Amino acid sequence: MCIKYFNIEIFIDIFADSLEMSFFSHKHMVKNRNKSHMQVKSFLIAFLLFLNLNLSAQPAGKPLGPEASKGEALFKANCTSCHSMSSKGVGPALQGVVGRHSSEEWLVKWIRNNEKLRASGDKEAIAVFNNNGQASMNVFENLSEAEVKTIITYFKEWTPAAPPTPPVGGTPQGGFFTDSTLYILLFLIVVLIVVLLILRKTKNSLKATANALDEPEEAEEPTNFQKKIAELKKRSNPTIVKLLLTVLILGGLATYGFIFGVTEIAVQQGYAPEQPIKFSHKIHAGEYKIDCKYCHTTTEKSKQASIPGLNTCMNCHKGVQARDKYNGEISPEIKKIYAAMDYDPEKPNGEQYGPNPQPIKWVRIHNLPDHAVFNHSMHVKGAQLSCQTCHGPIQEMAVVEQYSTLQMGWCINCHRESNIDVENNPYYEELHAKIKAEKGNANSPYSKYYTKEGKINVTAAQNGALECSKCHY
Amino acid sequence: MANKQLYWKGEEELLRTKEFLAAQKNEFNEALPLDEVFAENETLGLSSNRRDFLKFFGFSVAAVSLAACNKTPVRNVIPYLVKPEEITPGVANYYNSTCGICSVGCGINVKTREGRPIKIDGNYHSPVSKGALCATGQASVLSLYDTERLAGPARPNKDSKEKFDILEWSKIDAEVTKKLTEIQAAGGKIAIVTPTIHSPSSLSVINDFKTKYTNTVHVTQDAVSYSGILQANRDSFGKQVVPTYRFEKAMVVVSFGADYLGTWLSSTEYTNGWAAARKVEGNNKMSRTIQFESNLSLSGTNADYRFPMKSSQEAIYVTALYNALAQKAGVAQLPMVQTGELAGGAIKQSADALWNEKGSSLVISGSNDPKIQTVINGINILLTNYGTTIDLDNHSNQYKGIDAEFAQFTTDLSNGAYQGVIFWNTNPVYNSASSAAIAAGIKKTKLSVSFATTADETALECQYIATDNHYLESWGDSEPLAGSYHFMQPTITPVFDTRQAQESLLVWAGVVVDKSKDPFTNKEILNQNKDVDMYYLYMRNLWAAMGIVGDEAFNKVLHDGVHIMPSKATTVPAFSVALNSIVADLEKTIGKKDAMDLILYQNISVKDGALNNNPWVQEMPDPMSKVTWDNYVSLPKAFAMSQGIENGDTVNVTVGNNTLKDMPVYIQPGQSNMTAGIALGYGRKGKLGQKGLFESIGQNAFPFVSTQNGTQNLVINGVKIVKSEAKYVLAQTQTHHSIEGRDLVRETTFDKYHKDPTAGNNKPAPHLYTLWETKEYKKEGAPNHHWAMAIDLNSCTGCGSCVVSCSIENNVPVVGREEVRRRREMHWIRIDRYFTFENRNNVDYTKELFLSRDYEGKNITKETGLEAVDKLEAKNKDAQFLHWENVKVVHQPMMCQHCGQAPCETVCPVLATTHSSEGINQMTYNRCIGTKYCANNCPYKVRRFNWFRYNDNDKFDFHFNNDLGKMVINPDVTVRTRGVMEKCSMCVQSIQSAKIKAKRERKQLGGNDVKTACQRSCPAGAIVFGDVNDPNSEIAKLFKNERSYRVLEELNTQTAVKYLTKVRNVEETTA
Repeated sequence: MCIKYFNIEIFIDIFADSLEMSFFSHKHMVKNRNKSHMQVKSFLIAFLLFLNLNLSAQPAGKPLGPEASKGEALFKANCTSCHSMSSKGVGPALQGVVGRHSSEEWLVKWIRNNEKLRASGDKEAIAVFNNNGQASMNVFENLSEAEVKTIITYFKEWTPAAPPTPPVGGTPQGGFFTDSTLYILLFLIVVLIVVLLILRKTKNSLKATANALDEPEEAEEPTNFQKKIAELKKRSNPTIVKLLLTVLILGGLATYGFIFGVTEIAVQQGYAPEQPIKFSHKIHAGEYKIDCKYCHTTTEKSKQASIPGLNTCMNCHKGVQARDKYNGEISPEIKKIYAAMDYDPEKPNGEQYGPNPQPIKWVRIHNLPDHAVFNHSMHVKGAQLSCQTCHGPIQEMAVVEQYSTLQMGWCINCHRESNIDVENNPYYEELHAKIKAEKGNANSPYSKYYTKEGKINVTAAQNGALECSKCHY
Repeated sequence: MANKQLYWKGEEELLRTKEFLAAQKNEFNEALPLDEVFAENETLGLSSNRRDFLKFFGFSVAAVSLAACNKTPVRNVIPYLVKPEEITPGVANYYNSTCGICSVGCGINVKTREGRPIKIDGNYHSPVSKGALCATGQASVLSLYDTERLAGPARPNKDSKEKFDILEWSKIDAEVTKKLTEIQAAGGKIAIVTPTIHSPSSLSVINDFKTKYTNTVHVTQDAVSYSGILQANRDSFGKQVVPTYRFEKAMVVVSFGADYLGTWLSSTEYTNGWAAARKVEGNNKMSRTIQFESNLSLSGTNADYRFPMKSSQEAIYVTALYNALAQKAGVAQLPMVQTGELAGGAIKQSADALWNEKGSSLVISGSNDPKIQTVINGINILLTNYGTTIDLDNHSNQYKGIDAEFAQFTTDLSNGAYQGVIFWNTNPVYNSASSAAIAAGIKKTKLSVSFATTADETALECQYIATDNHYLESWGDSEPLAGSYHFMQPTITPVFDTRQAQESLLVWAGVVVDKSKDPFTNKEILNQNKDVDMYYLYMRNLWAAMGIVGDEAFNKVLHDGVHIMPSKATTVPAFSVALNSIVADLEKTIGKKDAMDLILYQNISVKDGALNNNPWVQEMPDPMSKVTWDNYVSLPKAFAMSQGIENGDTVNVTVGNNTLKDMPVYIQPGQSNMTAGIALGYGRKGKLGQKGLFESIGQNAFPFVSTQNGTQNLVINGVKIVKSEAKYVLAQTQTHHSIEGRDLVRETTFDKYHKDPTAGNNKPAPHLYTLWETKEYKKEGAPNHHWAMAIDLNSCTGCGSCVVSCSIENNVPVVGREEVRRRREMHWIRIDRYFTFENRNNVDYTKELFLSRDYEGKNITKETGLEAVDKLEAKNKDAQFLHWENVKVVHQPMMCQHCGQAPCETVCPVLATTHSSEGINQMTYNRCIGTKYCANNCPYKVRRFNWFRYNDNDKFDFHFNNDLGKMVINPDVTVRTRGVMEKCSMCVQSIQSAKIKAKRERKQLGGNDVKTACQRSCPAGAIVFGDVNDPNSEIAKLFKNERSYRVLEELNTQTAVKYLTKVRNVEETTA
């Protein structure tokens, strides 16, 4: 009965998609693609859990003591860009490192300042340096001796993660319960039965209510209003009424269609396609707090924020291979980077990559039409907006989705509401001087730049940010 | 106005033809071409009626709605794997290099985006281009992305003459080297044929080749040669060079048929000098230019005095001038019988003007006859111009080909004297008169190789095509002017599997270039993995050996694009020719007076035809005739009338055994009587193997080229021109967008200007009533930008460089010949060319003929106009039209004037055209629904309607509709689709990017910091753009200039474009 979570998830994904296809309109498909998908999916997962399937992740290694846990945190924060416990990264694998050296004290000295140790002529240190291709290790004097000791404790207590457990109890492979489509069938049948039961119940209760209301009542004298209606009914031509009604309904439909259809054509808010590499902003920008501009280097220089070249990934991922999460194997996603670069992690070769690189085809999420220009550098460097203003809580997104509508109204609205820092940007020096000079002059065209409190307040819109050729040329 | 001159744009406007009157009344000349669309679909059994239209319409709506129900397509984005450090996606990189289109060798500045060149401008460091570039050079970037380029080394297919097989480089190297070795072993002769090469490293490569294959000869062939000047200087001064002409120092220029502003020698350089000498502000002097010529040329239209000349009689004119000056100088005159006609007192007038500016004058001739050029040298010696305006010490290297040597080669080749022949960057089977002899000669050789990039006429005769790189993919150096070295660097990795010609020669010569050591530092080159270009290292080695620049300096010269050596002191050379001895030879050159002359010339855009298949070059209207996409016979009106030839007719042109049949005719005002002109460079076959749009544009006139006194002669006396049956409508833009004879151009004379700077600039009173409030940016001291442009009519030569530059910068589509005929050209900037008759002999021909707006006191309507035409036609029957050879011309660039109170903005029903707070008339394509009201209401006729989806339509197979050609698109500018109006945006993309740069760098934006594409390309500096609200900007000063005026100021449109009155340096005649 043990089915790996990520195997069945694919089926769940496909099934959730097909459910959506049948239940939701095109608009919903685009707009709430991610949201509805997640809902359906979580429901499915709950159902499968209900069927008592083992969906838990891999078992971890032995639990760590409190000291070692502290050390683990420090290790992950400081060391993993070069070292891994189980495999060689930029630096050597650290499994059994305590036993390899003369004493723990030596190791503490080495970790805190290997350069000093080497300079002092320590033979062991020089040997370690030479044995590892004379690659110098960073100095960590910011860590106290006690802290380094916790890391060493972690080294000592660390055990490799258990290998994947084979299927328990010899469940027949390819048997009845292993075929997940059957679960889906089962699930559908159950849903159908539930729906039928509910419908039947509703029908019965409605019938009962209707019967209760059907008691004959005394005919009352029609009210004035009812009389007038009756008169109107008599006078009016039924065809015209029908026509009017038709027009009304059609008009209403058209308006509805326009508002919810036409104005939102190609609006892809919430669009969160699956990417060829499951890069998680949640991990990189959220957990590790890597600055957006570390990877999206051109945001301050160019109109494009640009997706980083894979060599940027390799800066860290030559070392960071997340083997501890994958039983000592390199993470399958990181492997995709290596494959794209044609890089052999077992034989690192400096800056050189293999001769057969395969570029990654990312799926573009934010698509502006060709006739609209958006300049990242203007907004990020010029107006000093944070990325989140438009891209939302990107640091929480495991899968990036389009957060804003990217419609023109959305742009315009922001331009109306945002202020320009005319005081501190010399570009606006003349404008600022002029506004200051005209202070108190209510008739001046520059009076619009003052708030009621008399503060200078220039919105982007006032400075021409609503004009067509700001964005269209 | 008393001094109002009457200008006209073309014969049809002057004579008020019926077609013109009919077409002129509508902004758009035709109704929607629905009939045509239906006719195309005839196979579907459709005919064009209203019901069908409705069916189509209904179906389209339904189809579009259905299509809209599709999922939004998934778009991918593929980043670099290893991002090159120097590339920031979205930001352009600029590299200085050298133009490789002709041997003039202008320094260029190449704009690249994400590693692909998209725009070429001039390099400010270069003394040749001086920051500007000609139209052809600008357009050459498109040839890089030409689908006609060969994808690799090739061999013409044995079975089909129009096909070729792509080979491997190793195979071609092995076969060529084997054959070369065999030839060498047998002692056979090998020729390398090139145009003029002034690259030190290329010459060194040829020398290395000669060392290995000892019987190699290097033959220089210039398609249009300057052999006459070279030989004359050899005879006169012992220096076989073309001198450097310094037009900026020349206060009087007399030119005999040399189009120095157009195509003669280094015209971009000369235009810059010419414009400098004609600056009137704060100068007591302004240069005077006098032009004697047959065809109307750019220099002729810009000359202060233009005298028609029958070019076959040039020797008479030149000797007459010599004699007039000799008389003043007190030396012996030449014994020449002056049998020909001379234009009135023109020679005397010229001689007086020249003698007054002795030492700072210049006399030049476009003739390629060494004897005539020797007399010209004699004249300049009399005028003591050597050392000042003519510099033989810091001479030009741009043209070095001697015709006799090439003629000898042709003879030898056809006699089978060569076993091997290599053609490099030259195409003599097309561009020489002895085409057949060369083609036959090639077949007699054991080895024939061409380095052509496309399968051109010569390459198809050869055994191998060792396909060369485009110059934007190549390394190189050159020395166009002695001591000023220009460098070429690749701005893109080769698009195809091509290899630089120099490298091919080095490989075949077995030259090994040491890749391990740096020649400058003699140190090991550490990074061996980078694939260093062999020829780059060869060039570095050579420069290290030359010892002119060091290692650091070498990188700097690559960065600057040029390395300028200190110029040598100029000397006055000794003139060593007894002119009496050449009189007999001179007399031989004089043609028969009563026989028609044919003058072959290069036009401004197509030049010698190397870029014949470049659509930008083809669609640029010729500055004089405004004809696109064709060459034609330009005829004088008098001759045409006498033969009953009209525009739209064709003629058969015969010289000796050669005939061009059915050549279209253009009756050119200004064409000298008894002369005709045909442009070279046309008639090349393109898109080989398929009947494409480029199938032979125009006809090839090279077979007419003759030899005179041993040199190439382009002036043929005794041409037969006979009217033929066929009709042909040229795609001509001259009277499109006619603006009905209003007061648009203003001119004055230098004397008048000197007395009163506002001379000729009479401001009309504008309509004061206005709908608009004064806009904030226009008020005194407004903190906003106010973008504006000034165009100096006194500097503008009409060369059309801006037209091409604008098209490239703004993704303006090429529409093709057929669409131009329908008045649908898309150029955002056009150059209006106005004619006016010279009032010689005190006859005002204009008044006699021109029907002004107020004809007989009435405004012209269609009816009165037609009536008048009938009257005129009756009258014209007897006229001689001889005076049509005397015209004055004004060139006026016209683009969106960005009116402060814009007529177009008020009529747009959807607010697609609006005004910005910085004075720009904005055009928003995504809002435009194509009502065309704006174009109807524009008094300047500058709005263009986009009729078709040019970017995705096989009918417009120019550059937008294939993947390779699309590489040249400027990613910062929208590619417009059909159904929208478009027009000059004042390069708003450059303005925006400059503003954003200033904002993010937190500094002010100066009034001169933004440059538009047209401004950057202008060799005369006639266009100035900037922020008028910045008092320190150049534009603010020009807006206050007394010469400045707005076109149609009376409409109170308050344009953001001002023109500056043209000043002619002519003597006042008190008539």
